[in-house]
Amino acid sequence: MKKQITKKTLILTGIIGGIVLMGMIIVNAVISSRQTTMATNEAVHEVSSFYLEAMADRRSKTITNLINSNFDHMEKAVTYVNDQGIYSEDELRDTIGSIKYLLSLDRFALVDDDNIVHTQYTTYTGGSRHSFLSDGNMDQRSVSTVLLYGSTKQLCLAAPTPNLRIGGKRYKASFVQIDIKEIIDLLAFDDDGRTYFGIYSKNGENLTGTELGPYISTHNLFNVIGNVVPEDTLNENKDHFLNAVKGSITFTANGAESTLSYVPIDGTEWMMVVLIHDSVIQERIRNISEESLLYSKRQITFILIVSVIFFLVLFLMMRVIFNKNLEEEKKNTKNFRNMANTDSLTGVRNKHAYSDAENVLNRRISEKEIEKLAVVVCDINGLKIVNDTQGHAAGDKLIKDACSLICEHFTHGAVYRIGGDEFVVILQDKGFDTMKDVLTEINCAVEENITKKEVVVSIGYSTLTPEDQMLHDVFERADQMMYKRKKELKQMGAPTRA
Amino acid sequence: MRSFFGKNCILPVSLAMTLVLSSCSYASSGGRIGEFADPSVQEDYGDAAASSVPEVSSAVDFDHELDSYVPQKDHYNFYFTYKIVHPWWDAVALGMEDAQRQYLDRGVKITYEYMAPDSASAEDQTMRLREAGGRDFDVIGVDVADEAVISPVLDEMIDSGIKVMTFSSSDAAPGCKRIAYVGNTHNYEDGADLTESLCKKLEYKGKVAILVGSVGAPCHEDRARGAKDTIAKYPDMEIVAVEYDNDSVDIAYDLTMKILEDNPDLDGIICCNMSNPVGAARAVTQKGSSTVIVGMDHDREALHYLKDGVIYCLGVQDCYSIGFDTIQTAVKIADGNKPGELFEEKTDESTTVIYQEDAAIMLELLYGDD
Repeated sequence: MKKQITKKTLILTGIIGGIVLMGMIIVNAVISSRQTTMATNEAVHEVSSFYLEAMADRRSKTITNLINSNFDHMEKAVTYVNDQGIYSEDELRDTIGSIKYLLSLDRFALVDDDNIVHTQYTTYTGGSRHSFLSDGNMDQRSVSTVLLYGSTKQLCLAAPTPNLRIGGKRYKASFVQIDIKEIIDLLAFDDDGRTYFGIYSKNGENLTGTELGPYISTHNLFNVIGNVVPEDTLNENKDHFLNAVKGSITFTANGAESTLSYVPIDGTEWMMVVLIHDSVIQERIRNISEESLLYSKRQITFILIVSVIFFLVLFLMMRVIFNKNLEEEKKNTKNFRNMANTDSLTGVRNKHAYSDAENVLNRRISEKEIEKLAVVVCDINGLKIVNDTQGHAAGDKLIKDACSLICEHFTHGAVYRIGGDEFVVILQDKGFDTMKDVLTEINCAVEENITKKEVVVSIGYSTLTPEDQMLHDVFERADQMMYKRKKELKQMGAPTRA
Repeated sequence: MRSFFGKNCILPVSLAMTLVLSSCSYASSGGRIGEFADPSVQEDYGDAAASSVPEVSSAVDFDHELDSYVPQKDHYNFYFTYKIVHPWWDAVALGMEDAQRQYLDRGVKITYEYMAPDSASAEDQTMRLREAGGRDFDVIGVDVADEAVISPVLDEMIDSGIKVMTFSSSDAAPGCKRIAYVGNTHNYEDGADLTESLCKKLEYKGKVAILVGSVGAPCHEDRARGAKDTIAKYPDMEIVAVEYDNDSVDIAYDLTMKILEDNPDLDGIICCNMSNPVGAARAVTQKGSSTVIVGMDHDREALHYLKDGVIYCLGVQDCYSIGFDTIQTAVKIADGNKPGELFEEKTDESTTVIYQEDAAIMLELLYGDD
């Protein structure tokens, strides 16, 4: 047996379905958002390291190129000096001065076999001042850092000059010193302070004096980092510095997470270190994510609004349909009720309707609410004869004719068919007032019908008296009168039962 | 109003008093010594100790500008020779190069030779001076290796019309005809002051040793003399050894090891040059001794020993200013000027005694160390 879907069930299903659907959309959006954020954070670390390593590598290569370029120029400078045929210190100084303009070697110098340094303006014993001179053989190029008392730190590039002789004296090396500030100027570019960089020695000492962010500043890298990373991490990175291995460190200081990447600079003992606050990348990615999230939120909002409108329209449509169904149901109910109270043959009220009316009237009679009330009892003469002799169809026609006759005259009364050949008319108000005239007219018509061989109806009536307790009391008197009239009509020739 | 004056006047008045006291303290030491930062010494120096950090920061002045003197030539050629190839004179050279660059900016070309032997030698210096005297230098400058040997040589050069000056750590003997001296004029007092600090630290009793640099080098000998005279003031103090390291760290180390073996109960070592305290500190560390070391100069390793507490105090000379002023004075001498309004016969350069708490500042100032 199929269970019928009710209106309530349908609405409930729609509401729950809608809420579940919207909930799923929202939960899905929230989960997606969280997953995006987590993925973003993970990506930030990877991007930071990758970005910084590329940046450090690029800057490292710039320095390497600078070193190689300077070595090439030094080689040309030595060839130039050799070709000049110099014999005096003054000539040597002038030649070194001209090299400054020819090859852009600002601090070019030559060192003779006695470790005496010859520059454009000075000649000095340099054994304690230049560490590369401690290598007695001086048989290969060297790159060293000059950390001399109070001086700006410099990168010293020295190359052997095995074939250089000036004034009969052998010169063992040439060198240039590049101010680290010049290197910094070469490496610097404007990125709105998003990244920091510096050149560091093997032991983590800042050689450039450039701030590696506000936390590390210009301090020794490991002295500062040691406060915010585990000892293992610190030692691992110290080893990297000592062994010229690239790497990166992520640390949190002063509430900000930062990543620094370091790359060894070829040909030197330096590390190029670049630092970026993760917040910079995070902010950038967050902006992109937020734009995406905003777009998703708008989509979700749009879907929610469309869903709400859809369910609202659906609800209204359902309401209209249900109201329509309700109206039809009421109408059917009324029809069913009418059918129950109507005589199917004549269309007037039936015995059931009469009983309902009798109950209502009995209550009103008992409560003395009615003054004007009359009951007319009508009985068709000769119906059985017609049924028996002419068939029920003829009988039915006779009933209909009788009903028409009664209804045509008692236009202000309620007509009931309470039996096969018996009708009752209840008259109140105007029907009661006109009763006498109507009775006279209908009785005349009946008497004429006897002659015409048409339907003959015996009519008796009675009015409500103060002594009457019930309608039936009135009915009884009318019924008795009807029988008397039946006899009169028989005498006038009206058909009767055999 | 009272509150206003209270807040606004106390600070300036305090600062003014501090400055006055600082000036008095400096003046009373003959301009030879800077302020002490050692907490144990603060009691004696009162408010002046509060300004120790700025004093330490200005112990070496890298910020120099040439004075208003207008050189008469557009090119000068000088010759300088000093005791020994050593970082101390490399620091002096930086000041000289700064002055040379500034003259070049004014259109005056300065060229010079700045030479020294690998080991201190009065004979070598004499040879260098005589050789330079035969060349056409505008001025010859010398850091006297041995005043007894070199002073007569300088007199001869002056007599022959060569313009000679002395510079950096050691002047010639009194009465020498050299034109002027730029450098430390208070080596004796520096030795005495360092020793006084040591004596106070040792509560004026105990055994001490003195390490000196080169025999006959005036600056080293003067400091050693100042140290000996100071020790002599305290009857409970005894000098158990006086040794010369010939400006070699390795020799200083070996000498200290031997002194410590001979005198296991040694209480202090007075170091009179730049190599002494490094060698002494290495030996003391090696031995695990608690001997107190006082010494001279700004060697990077010595400053780290000071930072670590192995060395008690160091007298830091302003080498940069010595170099810068030497070139300025040489230009004026080359133009035929004599000591007077343009330059002093002895241009004094300061020495600042620094302690453990000052070491980091000095390391950063001089070497950029963190």
